Amino acid sequence: MRLEYDVIVVGAGHAGCEAALACSRMGVRTALVTMEISAVARMSCNPSIGGIAKSHLVYELDALGGEIGRNADFTGIQFRTINTKKGASVQSTRVQCDKAAYSKRMLAVLKNEPMLEIVSGTVIEFIVEEDTAKGVRLQSGVSLKSKCVVFCPGTFMNGMIHIGKRSFSGGRNGEQSANEAAKNLDRLGFSCARLKTGTPPRIRASSIDFSKATEQRGDEPPPMFSSEARRIYRMFREEHLDADRTMFHVEHSWSDLMPWLPGWRQMVCHITHTNKICHDIISNSLHLSSLYGGSITGTGVRYCPSIEDKIVKFKDRDSHHVFLEPEGRDTDEYYPNGTSNSLPEDVQIKMIRSIPGLERAEFTKFGYAIEYDFCDPTQLYHTLETKLVRNLFFAGQINGTTGYEEAAAQGFVAGVNAANVVLSKRPVVFSRSQAYIGVLIDDLVTKGTSEPYRMFTSRAEHRLILRQDSAKYRLLSMAKCIAILKKETIIETEHELDEISREMARLKSTYKDGATLAQMLCKKGMRYFDLPGSSQGIGVEGALFIETEIKYQGYIERENRQIANIAKDEAVQIPKDFDYESIVALRFEAREKLSRIRPSTIGQASRVPGVTPADVAIIRIALRRKTEVVH
Amino acid sequence: MQASEQDTIAAIATAPGEGAIAIVRLSGSKSLELADAVFRSKGPRPSARAGGTFVYGHIFEKDGDGGSGKEKIVDEAVLLIFRAPHSYTREDVVEFQVHGGRRSAARVLRLLIQAGARMAEPGEFTRRAFLNGRIDLVQSEAVMDIIRAKSDRAALLAAEQMEGRLSHYVGIIYDDLLLAQADLEATLDFLEDDLEQTVIQGIADRIAVAERRMKGLLSSWNEGRILREGVFVVVAGRPNAGKSTLFNHLLEMDRSIVTRHPGTTRDLIEEAMTLNGYPIRLVDTAGIRETDCEIEAEGISRAQEAIARADILLYVIDASVGPNGEDHKVISMTSARKKIIILNKIDIVQPNVNELVPYHAYHDVVLCSLKTGHGVQEIREVILRSLSGMDAGESHCCIAERHKTQIELALESIAEAARIIQSGEEEISLSAACLRDALERIGSITGRVYYDSLLDSIFSRFCLGK
Repeated sequence: MRLEYDVIVVGAGHAGCEAALACSRMGVRTALVTMEISAVARMSCNPSIGGIAKSHLVYELDALGGEIGRNADFTGIQFRTINTKKGASVQSTRVQCDKAAYSKRMLAVLKNEPMLEIVSGTVIEFIVEEDTAKGVRLQSGVSLKSKCVVFCPGTFMNGMIHIGKRSFSGGRNGEQSANEAAKNLDRLGFSCARLKTGTPPRIRASSIDFSKATEQRGDEPPPMFSSEARRIYRMFREEHLDADRTMFHVEHSWSDLMPWLPGWRQMVCHITHTNKICHDIISNSLHLSSLYGGSITGTGVRYCPSIEDKIVKFKDRDSHHVFLEPEGRDTDEYYPNGTSNSLPEDVQIKMIRSIPGLERAEFTKFGYAIEYDFCDPTQLYHTLETKLVRNLFFAGQINGTTGYEEAAAQGFVAGVNAANVVLSKRPVVFSRSQAYIGVLIDDLVTKGTSEPYRMFTSRAEHRLILRQDSAKYRLLSMAKCIAILKKETIIETEHELDEISREMARLKSTYKDGATLAQMLCKKGMRYFDLPGSSQGIGVEGALFIETEIKYQGYIERENRQIANIAKDEAVQIPKDFDYESIVALRFEAREKLSRIRPSTIGQASRVPGVTPADVAIIRIALRRKTEVVH
Repeated sequence: MQASEQDTIAAIATAPGEGAIAIVRLSGSKSLELADAVFRSKGPRPSARAGGTFVYGHIFEKDGDGGSGKEKIVDEAVLLIFRAPHSYTREDVVEFQVHGGRRSAARVLRLLIQAGARMAEPGEFTRRAFLNGRIDLVQSEAVMDIIRAKSDRAALLAAEQMEGRLSHYVGIIYDDLLLAQADLEATLDFLEDDLEQTVIQGIADRIAVAERRMKGLLSSWNEGRILREGVFVVVAGRPNAGKSTLFNHLLEMDRSIVTRHPGTTRDLIEEAMTLNGYPIRLVDTAGIRETDCEIEAEGISRAQEAIARADILLYVIDASVGPNGEDHKVISMTSARKKIIILNKIDIVQPNVNELVPYHAYHDVVLCSLKTGHGVQEIREVILRSLSGMDAGESHCCIAERHKTQIELALESIAEAARIIQSGEEEISLSAACLRDALERIGSITGRVYYDSLLDSIFSRFCLGK
């Protein structure tokens, strides 16, 4: 272990791993400090990656050189495309993973990075001089110096676990919380508050009667997030389609990096339902729940509600889905998705056993709720650097988000920008019209959040452009600028994009039976490969992109016009030290909010809650006056 | 000096011309200080007085160069004091009521400017009210309407809009659309199987309600335009029927040249007038006939254009000649809501009433002699009757051109959204894109943005799991 690094990343969850990989892959010397090496990239809650809007984040990260998509694909045990009937823009990939394999593979990836070192320890303090981060102090007494620090503590800051009336300190079930770092942030002047999340119990597979539940199988061919896994899958299909599948075993040796052929041997999930008996058990025990018994003060997740929430808030429904998901290939544990709760153990047993198929359920873990500290994300710039302490970055749940994918996206952005500080390069910021990553971060730093923030497609105003099929094409120039993605991949994507634009031009100018091929493609049910002369050079992904771009053309043009309309506002910069207090014409509320959030552009200012179009007009006038004085 | 939002501004607030009183208005942080400098009264100085009060006193001016001499009374004045934020601009405002006529007010204004005020730019008081958040965009447009109002009725309408009536109504439409959008977004972002069918019908219903309201608002546009711009009343007929004479009678002045020669009026002649408070744009046109004269032909084609878009058509027929097929053709050219047939020259000839039968069925017919002025009053009354039919009525609020464009585009978008939802075949995410567009357009009328309220609306109504 060295004592000096370029960047120190604290916490090795989904945010920390992306941050550390981004930094080290950009060539700066990086330390990843974790309390528990065996818990790297642990899936603390559901055993899956992706889902609506979250999947978009994963595709974007893969297009930029992030790891989460690959890690999910290589350790995936079931692959599905969901929301298929509602349109390409909301269609999403969801990959069920083997939890143990997921964590092991990520550890192997981290260990493979020459510029990255994993350091075991607990951070108790940030070293800050002249409002600038200079490193961290560990519980062991060791001080590590660095130019930047990326802090990704997850739910560990003042973590408090609740099961029924019992509560105890902890960062995750069975793991210690990290309270010293929280105290330190408070001393540095950060404003923090409490949030709450929860997880269901885990059940032994051998105790489940699957005959009472409905099967849910994966898709064939399996949809995947990453170009790399898709390439390997394709290679295998083409070369070994007719051959004995075991041939693959001969040529490749399995390792933590590739525990099995991606997409191969998918597992089955099941669906069952709660019923009246189950609901009665919960209603009668509400006073014992930590959530409704009054011991929890933090705000919970509205869109991933605990089962108590569902019963209380939606009384008229007599049944809710319960998804039975395996936690891995070699484990006996199942995740009963939809039963997150904070009821006492005996009630949990009674409640779960009232669900069809789970009558004889044996528990391996009980469900619990966890409360933790988060810092108001409006204290951050779009780079995720804090406004209070220079070169200190926050990513993940500390910023009020929930979800592995949201965490990974922030980790990546924080990591890239920390490395850019070290390399004296310009910061990388994504706009709302460019990526879901941009929407996520802009929402956080502009509006803050009062509940755990989760990505939705409805949060993105340019949904039709920000599709998962378009991610690698629309982010190509960003990927080149960040330069983590392998050169071959960039060249390959550029080549695809050339091919696609040539092909789209051909479709629009080639006539058959009085209509262009593009017009033919717009017919319902028509696919690219049904067209005469479709090019073999266009892959499945390219074909999907072409179909969507042509079918949505009118809508996409409208979105592009809307983007052009707001582009002017997005381009007007507001200086960091702009003095809102001196503008007497601004209303008090607007002045106070703008002074606190310090938007970087007029566009961002207009999105600050409580700021009216009139306020924005005033700022515009004030800015113009300022520049007139300068000239 | 460079114009700044910080300056204290001054302007004469009353219209030019003779009047009982004239008002000079001051707005800005130095208003009271400036009032102290030019105004004397018994009791405390203006800056020591409370807002919402008035005081009688005198305007003073210092004699001699540089104001070194003794003070002399310029005028008597009543001072009205408004303190921020309880004023029109939300700044400190002082109004001087002085004797009518330009001169007295101009002198007060000059004194205030000497004391440090800046001449206000046109509309600057209203701009400050907007910038200081006292009124929204629709309301500030309404203020401009009041200022420009051509008649009492238009002023009344603008005053209603100013009170936020249109903003309120647009807000209702916005909320309808927002709820539909929230439901639609919920079906896109969540995978609850039993959510969809019932919800889809609800969305379609909500869209239909919003569509109806928007169409109602749109139909008020024409009424709004009439009140804002004046009713377009066009006088037309064949050459030498007496159009210009009628035109002059209605205006009560000799505006158009009247001769015995057919084809005297070549171009459109337009004048503004009011009839019982209704604003009217009265237009005299060239007589319609076949002609070889290029100038006259151009005049006729302009006349035809004016006839086509008239709100009220006054069609003059020479009773001594009688109506013919040409007249029928011209009358049917117009989309005017009211067509009034004026049978002129009954002093010369008794009209053949039988010939007029086809007209009676569809139009008002007035017999008159424009030469003597007989029947002109009746023409006025018929016009007035037609006007009250066009009145916006009390329950409507009217929209301006900018609003109209936005509503029309929004209507197109929601029609498409509804079509996609009802077809049940196309991808429903496209429908959401259309609704979003409509919401942005409707929101732009009053300056609302919807993203913040959308998710709240979703979560309060659905149980959303995995």
